[in-house]
Amino acid sequence: MKRLRLILAFIGVLNISAQEKDSLDFKFGEINGLEEVVVTGQINPQSVNKSVFEVKVINRETIDRLAANNLADILNQQLNINIIPNASTGKSGVQLFGLDSQYFKILVDNIPLISDEGLGNNADLTQINLDDIERIEIVEGSMGVQYGANAVSGIINIITKKDAQSEWQITPYVQEETIGDEYNFEDEGRHIQSVKVAHNINDNWFAQISATRNDFKGRFGEKQGQNYQQNDGLRGYEWLPKLQNNYKALVRFKSKNTTAFYKLEWFDERVKRYSESVRLNENSSTGTINPTASDDIFKSGRMFHHFNLNTKLFEKTNLNISTSFQEQKRDVEEFTYRIKTGEKLNIRKNEFESRQAIFSRGNLSNLLNFEKFDLQVGYELNLIDGFASPMSNPLQSDPVDRKLNNYDVFATSKYQFSDKFSIRPGVRALFSNQFDPLMAVSLSSKYLFNDGVEARAVVGSSPRTPSYDELFTYFVDVNHDVRGNENLKPEQGFSTFIHFKKTFWSDDYKLKIKPKLSFWYLNVSDRIELTIVNPSPLAYQFSNIDKFQSIGTSMTTSLEYKNISGNIGLSLTGVSKVLDSQDNFNDDFLYGLQANSNISYRIPKWGLTSSVFFKYNGPQYQFVQQQNEADETVLTRGKQDGFGLMDASFRKRLIKNKLDLTFGIRNVLDVDRVNTTAVEGGAHDAAPSSLLLAYGRSYFIKLLYQFKF
Amino acid sequence: MKHLKITLQILLLVLFISCDSDDDNPAQSEMVVAFENASTSFSAEDDRKTINLVFSSPATENGSLIVDWNSTNSVYGEDFTVIPEATNNSFTLEFNAGDEGVSFDINKLQNPIEGTQKSVNFDIIEVNHRNAIVGGNTSLNVDFTGAAAASGNISPEVGGPNQPNQVYVDLSGQNSTAINRAAWDLAFYQGEEFRVKLNGSLFMATAELDETDITAITSQDVASLQGQVAVGTFNPSNMAYVDAPSGEINETAIAEIANNNEDNKVYLLNLGNSVGTETPQPGSVELSGEPRGWKKIRILKDGINYILQHADLDATEFEEISISKSGNNAFEYVNLASNSTVEVDQNIQWDIEFTTFTNEIEGAGSYGYSDFVVNNRLANVSAYAVENSEIEYADYNIEDVSDEEFSLDQRAIGSNWRVGGGPNSSPTLKQELFFVLKDSDENIYKIRFTALTDENGVRGFPKFEYEKLN
Repeated sequence: MKRLRLILAFIGVLNISAQEKDSLDFKFGEINGLEEVVVTGQINPQSVNKSVFEVKVINRETIDRLAANNLADILNQQLNINIIPNASTGKSGVQLFGLDSQYFKILVDNIPLISDEGLGNNADLTQINLDDIERIEIVEGSMGVQYGANAVSGIINIITKKDAQSEWQITPYVQEETIGDEYNFEDEGRHIQSVKVAHNINDNWFAQISATRNDFKGRFGEKQGQNYQQNDGLRGYEWLPKLQNNYKALVRFKSKNTTAFYKLEWFDERVKRYSESVRLNENSSTGTINPTASDDIFKSGRMFHHFNLNTKLFEKTNLNISTSFQEQKRDVEEFTYRIKTGEKLNIRKNEFESRQAIFSRGNLSNLLNFEKFDLQVGYELNLIDGFASPMSNPLQSDPVDRKLNNYDVFATSKYQFSDKFSIRPGVRALFSNQFDPLMAVSLSSKYLFNDGVEARAVVGSSPRTPSYDELFTYFVDVNHDVRGNENLKPEQGFSTFIHFKKTFWSDDYKLKIKPKLSFWYLNVSDRIELTIVNPSPLAYQFSNIDKFQSIGTSMTTSLEYKNISGNIGLSLTGVSKVLDSQDNFNDDFLYGLQANSNISYRIPKWGLTSSVFFKYNGPQYQFVQQQNEADETVLTRGKQDGFGLMDASFRKRLIKNKLDLTFGIRNVLDVDRVNTTAVEGGAHDAAPSSLLLAYGRSYFIKLLYQFKF
Repeated sequence: MKHLKITLQILLLVLFISCDSDDDNPAQSEMVVAFENASTSFSAEDDRKTINLVFSSPATENGSLIVDWNSTNSVYGEDFTVIPEATNNSFTLEFNAGDEGVSFDINKLQNPIEGTQKSVNFDIIEVNHRNAIVGGNTSLNVDFTGAAAASGNISPEVGGPNQPNQVYVDLSGQNSTAINRAAWDLAFYQGEEFRVKLNGSLFMATAELDETDITAITSQDVASLQGQVAVGTFNPSNMAYVDAPSGEINETAIAEIANNNEDNKVYLLNLGNSVGTETPQPGSVELSGEPRGWKKIRILKDGINYILQHADLDATEFEEISISKSGNNAFEYVNLASNSTVEVDQNIQWDIEFTTFTNEIEGAGSYGYSDFVVNNRLANVSAYAVENSEIEYADYNIEDVSDEEFSLDQRAIGSNWRVGGGPNSSPTLKQELFFVLKDSDENIYKIRFTALTDENGVRGFPKFEYEKLN
């Protein structure tokens, strides 16, 4: 028995699967007490398998094994999720079920995190540092009842670490990475330094501070850098250099019935964008050139305060209140750079865009004193103050200053009919100063069959609020008429998911296999798209006109055997778009295949873990309008080629597990550009023939030391 | 103790890696001094010219330079003098720190007898300034016999991102003249035909109505037409409402003025847009300001003269102006607001004009262009483009000129000298081609554009150089 416990403990602690870490099966979970607890969408923190929602967990171990510094480093191994990096802005967005980051919400400790363009949505994944993260929880599907607007395709909830084992814990680390094949100490590679100090002041109080510096020097690729003097498109960088600093502080109080914490974060970032277009400024008289270029430096700053109180009232009822003030601001410094002399001329500093938010959510749970019935009621308030300069949108003529105030109330309940069957209905009413009141609903249920099969059905809805571009674009001149529409209403997202899973054990409990089968349907109605509102004179405006549908199925299996653990997943997603905004469209479902797998092998004696992660993104299809030979506009099925992303790492613990050494290879298959015919050209731009998705094979080494006393 | 050591090591490593060198700046280059142009020419009317010398970068200290000359059949003090005064065949020009050039004047004292060659060749022989050299146009040939300029560098004053000016350039005379493009509305042809041209630089458009009484038209009558009679509606049929972009005088939007005035219909006139006033982002243009509104017009013939009637749409009375046909120039120009004729290019000889322009996009109809270059079709100026990949500008000479390629279409240069931009990219100079132009005196020039913007990327500051091939 003792041996079994030991094995189970290992499996529990070092569960390798990146895809999804499920805790041990119900009855064994009881034995060893190592059940994984999740909070996303829960009334009370729950074990993963008790959760009515299907929560995927990326644990700290996986983050460490990939030496992931920010969210973009880790999510590209997730099934269904695509990371869309933008080499020309340095940002990375997320795409899930064919919907972009406007439909996806990112939360930190259950509250939405601010970005340049939204609260929770439109996040730049590279700006979200993972150093103090305990685990990442992912829920696919619309979560409007739990998390409000813009949680259409799903949510990520980042849970930060709020305790330490010893009285003092000081953790410095350095991480050195190549960027593709570029690396040196001066102007190439990625250099990360970090230090974290955690202190248990007494039984009740805990405090932690950390600082991280991430110096991404950019990738030259074919480009020649800042001081290149030719106008042949080779000036600048293929991937923009970016320097990030992150400072975090936490104070936590814990007593028998109350926990409270205050978290403060300061983040700043500097991205340099060098124009590839060089003006030679020829002087025909002297026969000289004085090349100049228009460059930009973007400076972003984010401030994040979060106060949370979680306490018991009247012995049983739970009160949980989070209040947060957050601000993110992006400034731009535009200037002319004289390449020969290095002078900066005509410097203009402006605010590019910003968001400021006051957020509060509170709820009371276990309100009614029944064993089988839970009720949670709550409010959510967010006051978002946004600014967008005309520089942030080439088709916007005036700066925009706008307040969006949301006042939501919600109630969810859980009824446990039996040990096997529970349901969870929920409803949220969303009131705002900009839109008509909206409603989000959800209904989830879980059924445990006699043979151990768990079945879950989750239905949810969530609206997406229109973006500033959609609301405030105004580009009218002698040749053009393109306008936003301030009367847009939010899009409506709705999703249904069905999951089946079961755990199989071998007789000696050495082998555990846990397959899961999922099906889903997701649709977005009233989808906002630019459409022709008048053919002659030609005028465009954003309207609630289109419809989006996605269907899919996935099969994932996790496997554990002795010191080997792994995971394999396969998913097929079909997307159909009804584009009433265009003259002709094809709403056939276009299917894309994704597969991922990872395997890791531990040698406990040596403190060594080796892992390989692989994800295959199959070809993606999209209908695009093209001119045929007879100069007619026709719809063709464009294709973006498939590609595989593989990461591998070795991790070794030394000096009584105090020194942690990780060496690894990102993008083993050396992917950078992927051919595509799935992008439409514009009136002034030809369609690109390839997409830049990664920067080639890179190597990293991370050295972390833990002082504990 | 061991802890401490490792801590120190790690901290040192962190410190080492954190040392971030700032971007290193390239070294300052030398200052090159040159004549602005390699040659210039006095016409019979000119008696004084200012000669500019330019520096490749502003002077960093006070300095001076010395110019001397050798002459052909020209004697200092008899045929010409210079200011500042010269001694011993040379003179000194002083400059201050920050100056970007210096200049001197040449006075022509007498016109040469026809048939004799009179010229002076000036050379920069010395520059007194740190890091300065003489380069590029190290000498200047001044001709006193009125020959066409052999070369030149011109920076037409288009006037920045609103592009307020139409600039008329004469290559042989090495000069340019800027005129506000909103100065006129309609141009009345002075040649054989009775034709009237719109000011396409303001994106005007016009449609013939079924009426000969100008007072009978009201805004209600034309309401349904107004959406269509405009530039940039993306309706291919709107080409009927603008003049042929080719410059063919017989394809104006307004029909030829008929001899029988009963056949001359009233026209609905869209006055286009005023010159923009806002300052756009560098790289963009803001050509059009507010719409200038609508007029109704009718043009009649009175013997060899034109009569123009014009009024606001709902006016029951109209203004009238008579435009005589002298035949001295290509056009007489009318400004409707002042009901008068105005001076535009009447007394200017020109080869190319920088202007905003109403062009056609095949399949999409009329479209407003910026940075357009028009060759003077009515004065028989023609041009064509040559790709650098065929032959380099520097190597191109008179033997390479192909007579069949010259196009009279006034868009022979057009917008071909720049790369069109889009919502996310600004237009840029197209470096891979140059142009060959033949003027009305059969002078053949090669032309190479050297700038679309100023050094900050602000639009509306073009530059080009040219050289005579024959």
